[in-house]
Amino acid sequence: MISISPKALATGSDPAFSKKLDLNNLAPEQVALDINKLNLFYGKKQALNNITMSIPKGQVTAFIGPSGCGKSTLLRCINRMNDLVDDCHISGEINLHGNNIYNKHVDVAELRRKVGMVFQRPNPFPKTIYENVVYGLRIMGENNRRRLDEAAEQSLRSAALWNEVKDRLHESALGLSGGQQQRLVIARAIAIQPEVLLLDEPTSALDPISTLVIEELINDLKKQFTVVIVTHNMQQAARVSDQTAFMYMGDLIEYSDTNTLFTTPLKKKTEDYITGRYG
Amino acid sequence: MDNLQIGRHISGQFNEDLERVINNVMHMGGLVEKQLTDALAAVDTTDVTLAKEVLSNDYQVNAYEVSIDDECTRIIAKRQPAAGDLRLIMAIVKTITDLERIGDEAEKIARVALENFSSSQQDLLVNLDNLGRLVLEFLQASLDAFTRMDCDAAIKIHQMDDKINREYEALIRQLMTYMMEDPRSIPQIMTVIWSARALERIGDRCQNICEYIIYFVKGKVVRHTTAEDMKKL
Repeated sequence: MISISPKALATGSDPAFSKKLDLNNLAPEQVALDINKLNLFYGKKQALNNITMSIPKGQVTAFIGPSGCGKSTLLRCINRMNDLVDDCHISGEINLHGNNIYNKHVDVAELRRKVGMVFQRPNPFPKTIYENVVYGLRIMGENNRRRLDEAAEQSLRSAALWNEVKDRLHESALGLSGGQQQRLVIARAIAIQPEVLLLDEPTSALDPISTLVIEELINDLKKQFTVVIVTHNMQQAARVSDQTAFMYMGDLIEYSDTNTLFTTPLKKKTEDYITGRYG
Repeated sequence: MDNLQIGRHISGQFNEDLERVINNVMHMGGLVEKQLTDALAAVDTTDVTLAKEVLSNDYQVNAYEVSIDDECTRIIAKRQPAAGDLRLIMAIVKTITDLERIGDEAEKIARVALENFSSSQQDLLVNLDNLGRLVLEFLQASLDAFTRMDCDAAIKIHQMDDKINREYEALIRQLMTYMMEDPRSIPQIMTVIWSARALERIGDRCQNICEYIIYFVKGKVVRHTTAEDMKKL
């Protein structure tokens, strides 16, 4: 039995109904990533304008917004994928455990081990399913067969793929369906036990059923990892995320818990976007 | 209607769907208002024909409720409305339930006109008149606020229910005195009490409609809040 105080019922603020975090006042131990005054330029064009936000630990945070609003750019900043883009300049900070990932002495490979990423199209290596999953561990120098087996099984189970592939671990990963490949890629990303998992439109190339399986998976993954997802599908953001950030033309317009953002957004731009109105 | 900003969706089909639903709610509101007006007039003038008309028209109110409900379900399934659109649909679904019930109450009131009141007891019905007028005014104001989705008006008229409750209580006290004075009139007085009760319930339902308007505009649930808290909105 849930007991509800009459006052809480009247104001709709009972914690049993909504576990809201105060995103502006997170305790340090609740924060996974702290983005501070981040500006990003592609050449002369500014793609991100002074983004400041805290991404809470162990939760799913979604970035939504129209094409070209900077949501993917912001996601790629979190594991420094934009380093690979010519003519890209960044100012500001992204702190992971209080350490700025843009500091000069940060080892980018080590950063990307902590911050895994999954892309729009599944990109398994042309190897066996097993080798795909343990690839990261092998690179890190793990060669103990028993440990690799364990890690492979555990990651595939976490990615909700184990039952489908356990009898053909040593067949080519390219023989899997699109949805299975995407889950394989997620298994590969989590095999090295990252802290943060970045998902860049992970289901936009998948059918509706595979999409639901991945969404279910995202919900399970947040128990172990902090998940940040970029999606074009607003309903998906509403379904899977705890926090949603709405971005528009490089600005962070509104960032709040998903329930609030999709029922009572504060900004008119957000309202127009999520209800499909002309801006 | 300006508050609704319905015509601005990228999907013209969605605009049309919402416009159709809202128009139907307006029509339904107009019909319910007419039912109540007719029921009160029928009682006032003991017009049996008019009372029967009210009874036979109630099915139209019910039909509106079913079809609007259906339309809203379809919109939710096909469009997955969010934010203001979602609140609008929720407000509509709840409003039509209350409107349908108001229709039922009007029907109950009309039945009074069909009862045989002797001319000496006719005076009893006059007592209903004042309460009836107040309630009708409240219903009109609520529907008007709904049409314009006018939150300020909704907050203001929300308090009209207090006045109706006071009037209702005064009326009941008065009717009780009559019953004590002349126990033979109890059956007729009971009928009047039922209609007074129906009117009082209509007031409550109008109050609900005001709350849905506030919910749509402000996104705040104001049910079960005090008048003071509501003024702070």
